[in-house]
Amino acid sequence: MATTEKKLKLSKPALILGGLALVLLVLAVIFFTGGGEEKVKPLAGSDAPKTPETTGEAPAMKTVTLFFLADGDDLLHKETREIAAGPTEADEAERALAELVKGSEGGFISPLPPGTRVRQVFIARDGMATADFSRDIAENLSYGSTAELGAVYAVVNTLVYNFKPVKKVMILVEGAERETLGGHVDLSRAFLPDYSFVAR
Amino acid sequence: MKIFYITAAVLLFALSGLAAGAQERALRTVVIDPGHGGLESGAKGRFGNLEKDITLAISLKLKALIEKDMGFEVVLTRDRDVDVSLENRSATANNHKAGLFISIHANGAVPKKAAGSETFFLSLNATDEETRRLAYLENNSSELQSRIDPSSDEDLMMILWDMAQNAYIKQSSRLAELVQSELDAMLGTRNRGIKQAPFKILAGVACPAVLVEAAFISNPDEEQKLASEAFQMRVAEAIYRGLARFLRGLE
Repeated sequence: MATTEKKLKLSKPALILGGLALVLLVLAVIFFTGGGEEKVKPLAGSDAPKTPETTGEAPAMKTVTLFFLADGDDLLHKETREIAAGPTEADEAERALAELVKGSEGGFISPLPPGTRVRQVFIARDGMATADFSRDIAENLSYGSTAELGAVYAVVNTLVYNFKPVKKVMILVEGAERETLGGHVDLSRAFLPDYSFVAR
Repeated sequence: MKIFYITAAVLLFALSGLAAGAQERALRTVVIDPGHGGLESGAKGRFGNLEKDITLAISLKLKALIEKDMGFEVVLTRDRDVDVSLENRSATANNHKAGLFISIHANGAVPKKAAGSETFFLSLNATDEETRRLAYLENNSSELQSRIDPSSDEDLMMILWDMAQNAYIKQSSRLAELVQSELDAMLGTRNRGIKQAPFKILAGVACPAVLVEAAFISNPDEEQKLASEAFQMRVAEAIYRGLARFLRGLE
């Protein structure tokens, strides 16, 4: 009984050291092998490549539907366009909006003023897409109500119609919230799409 | 969750209070808002006419008509060519305890053929933004409970004013309908009807409020009409008649 007690007493520091070593070992193993599934995702529009890497074959394409104006009615008109696919939906969304600015190939009219640059599109997990434009979107057109509604809903509809995760859209100018584009439509809230004035 | 309902109840109560208050004072003050002004010219016409000048001209004519025939006090959000923020415009209406608010604009579209007259009232573009704001208060409930009195809670007051127009949507829709039918009868322009839009200027106004788009300054034919005194007078007269019909309906 006494020997056991002594033996235990003697081995106590050893036990503590051994325990510590074991904990360190486990931590080290977790540190080097764990978290394998968590890849750091680059923010949309950061240094992520803007176009998919070319692999020698034709790059993957995606068909998107853009919303344009027409002379002669007050409707938004759909026009399909091929854009480069991937790597992320935010990248594709940026390309789709850039095509909207570039204009129609079928005689329609862009609702966004020339010179407008798409700075970034960010798609959050809750379905909120944030589309950030250069100041040209506000400064290169003297908006009336109808022009302003056309610009806003062409952007909102284009994003929600083509990109499944997008449920609502917030519009920023130069990275910041802006009251309106030209004195009418309130940009402080997110927009739901409105297809009520889309031509059939 | 309880505090959410309390907040919602407080908001509803306060908004209904605003609505009741407005009806009592409905027959005293009309606030007219000439769109744009100063550096902010609004839409531009091909012949160089600016929206801000036309909206002011129509507003001054409407003011004269109302004062002459109705004897109400009329307050303009601007009476000359100056910049006024959208916030200050709705504040003018609320500070003067306006019974009616009419914002006057000339429309602009990218396609030059777009034409006609229309009257807007606010659309409730309800996303879960409102819910998010209420959730913020819910999560800061201790803070809210300590100062539940809306008169002292800045956040709550902010939400309240943001939503001020919500309590008047039905009346605003009626006002829009009556104004639009008179515009249709008097202007000879295409009737684009009444529409709802998330316009900043209307959201914060605590009384029936509409935004009139008299015609398109971006359309060369309509630009010339808008620039003429006679057409401006007809726009003012039409709005005046619509307003008078609305007020008769309240009595």
